[in-house]
Amino acid sequence: MTVAAQIGPMAEVPPALRWGAVVNLLLWAIALLLCLVPFGLVLLISFGHKVEGAGWDWAFSSENYLRFFVGANWPAETTSLYLGQLYWSMRYAVVAAVLAVVTALPFTYLMTRQSRRAQARWLVFLLATLSLSEVFIVMGWDIILSNNSGLPMLFAASGVTDWLKDTGWFDVLRDWGLANPRNVKFKTSEFATVLTLSYLVWPYAVILLYPALSRLDPSLAEAARTMGARPWTVARTVILPAVRLPLMGTTLLLFVFLLGAYVAITVFADPSQHTTAVSIYENVRGSTLNAPFGAAQSVVLLVAAGAFLVLGQRLSRKSQGGA
Amino acid sequence: MSALSLHGIRKDYGEARAVDDITLDFPDGQLTALLGPSGCGKTTLLRMIAGLEVPTAGTVTVGGRDITRVPAHKRKFGMVFQSFALFPHLTVRDNVAYALTIAGTARGEAAARADTLLDLVQLTGFGDRRIGQLSGGQKQRVAIARALAQEPEVFLLDEPMSALDAKLREEMQVELRLLQQRLGITTIVVTHDQREAMTMADRIIVMSKGRVEQAGTPQEIYHWPATGFVAGFIGRANFMDGVAQDGRIMVGGVALSLPRPAQFLTGSAVQLVCRPEGIRLGAGLAEVNSIEGRVTFVRDLGPVRDIYLETRLGRLVAEQSADQSRVLAVGDRVHLSLPPDALRLYPGLPVTLPATALAAE
Repeated sequence: MTVAAQIGPMAEVPPALRWGAVVNLLLWAIALLLCLVPFGLVLLISFGHKVEGAGWDWAFSSENYLRFFVGANWPAETTSLYLGQLYWSMRYAVVAAVLAVVTALPFTYLMTRQSRRAQARWLVFLLATLSLSEVFIVMGWDIILSNNSGLPMLFAASGVTDWLKDTGWFDVLRDWGLANPRNVKFKTSEFATVLTLSYLVWPYAVILLYPALSRLDPSLAEAARTMGARPWTVARTVILPAVRLPLMGTTLLLFVFLLGAYVAITVFADPSQHTTAVSIYENVRGSTLNAPFGAAQSVVLLVAAGAFLVLGQRLSRKSQGGA
Repeated sequence: MSALSLHGIRKDYGEARAVDDITLDFPDGQLTALLGPSGCGKTTLLRMIAGLEVPTAGTVTVGGRDITRVPAHKRKFGMVFQSFALFPHLTVRDNVAYALTIAGTARGEAAARADTLLDLVQLTGFGDRRIGQLSGGQKQRVAIARALAQEPEVFLLDEPMSALDAKLREEMQVELRLLQQRLGITTIVVTHDQREAMTMADRIIVMSKGRVEQAGTPQEIYHWPATGFVAGFIGRANFMDGVAQDGRIMVGGVALSLPRPAQFLTGSAVQLVCRPEGIRLGAGLAEVNSIEGRVTFVRDLGPVRDIYLETRLGRLVAEQSADQSRVLAVGDRVHLSLPPDALRLYPGLPVTLPATALAAE
């Protein structure tokens, strides 16, 4: 008897399985709809054009992209205002993400060496801080770094400003844009912007690094120590290579997250150093009201972020292969 | 001169005392096994020797030099970890050359030395492999080669065979011992496996509850266990609770004689220990310490048979050579004798391991 004969006529698919397939299909359709429709609309609108006083109109024009890369008056005149904003977007996001990861790494490593109970306390605390909104955090730092009521005032009152002037450090701070002729100042400055952005994503960095570091076998570091490695050598030659991929992944994730930062940039960054995210908001909801151009900026920002992610992935693959 | 000495070593973790007042000398060039059950403090002691833990009290010296507070990276002690702790991002050769590389040895020289060490542990040609491509036994060899790269004064191994299967473990025990003898390096092995300790060690230190129960050669430890715990932990033993009476020991109404009168006051609770191979079976035995028993179970192990007996002294296990003419079966009645020389006497303190001792191989 053949196998087919043994099985008999084609078995009926049970109704439960049929329904399961339908539900699965439906879920995929909803997921694709939610992901693709907003992005598709932004892409379509980015090719539209602004109608003065009447919002925007459907079109298929590359004028918004041209404006982004070479300015509205091209070819008569070329401007790089929006490319500059993209540069600041990337710069803030890269520096703040790297700063957050670099500072979160030793903290998380030490945290994973503590007792289970202490680790749980830290994780609960860090997860709780995630409930704080960007607006709340920026408000806090705005007060701390405010020229009239924050650290600059404290520095002046406590004599630190005078000490800085006496020792010559005040001139250095002025060169760095962190002092006016009378006192130190943090607003507006790249320092304050990066500091706040890093603070904003720091708990995410710890939470993302925690699983990899808690799984790291402590005997790896101990073995290196017994072979003559000093603490920094252990970190450089054993711990960092062991968590290279999570480090790269965390940095990229924070980078993408920070590309969209808005409140911290508007409060702490000099207007000449504002980012694409701020410009997009201005175009979509702010004073400029040019939705097609805002949409084009969004697409460029997305493509730039994608390019960064691909680059990061290639770098990590290369380092993995070369190790 | 002793290579390594511990004096009054103690280690507390909060209220818990992991290691309690240990004073030991590790003779130069010998292999010493720290043997004991889980949680007895043997790994903690090894970690203090390695410099990975700081003793709460006491001193560690090498050749008379106090190294108690010297950090691990300055001790030049090679260590093999239970998990081997090989660096997964490095090749086999780079793992072995790690100590040399970080010490600033030229890359070519370090690689050549690593290859020599890989030859020594019979891993010639494995230098370019990744750690993930190795079997358990190969990983262990790499870990040994890596620990030897810096030519350590003392070689430490923490349960080095625990990750290997039984057959490979026995092979590696012999190989490691031969390697140690060839290099003549002072070696300390932590193990909970008494067979492993007996196979490899010149000297065994039996530990329990953070203390040293006995230190001696494998033969001394096996034949002359200092305490009931050691008798139970090393090899197999029959334990009998009794009472001292006029130099003899009363167990279950039977008066047992010892080679010399027992040095216990009459009425003192004592414990007698007899190895299974010490019990004689069959007719025509000496009258001294002779009783009758009934066979309850026979366990055939090939060259020997374990005869489980119900006697007036309690349940006993006797080891009978397989070439004995009389083959005992369950239900047989048999004469048995416990020669005085085969009996060991201890104070009647509770012994924690009698049941497992009988079951242990």
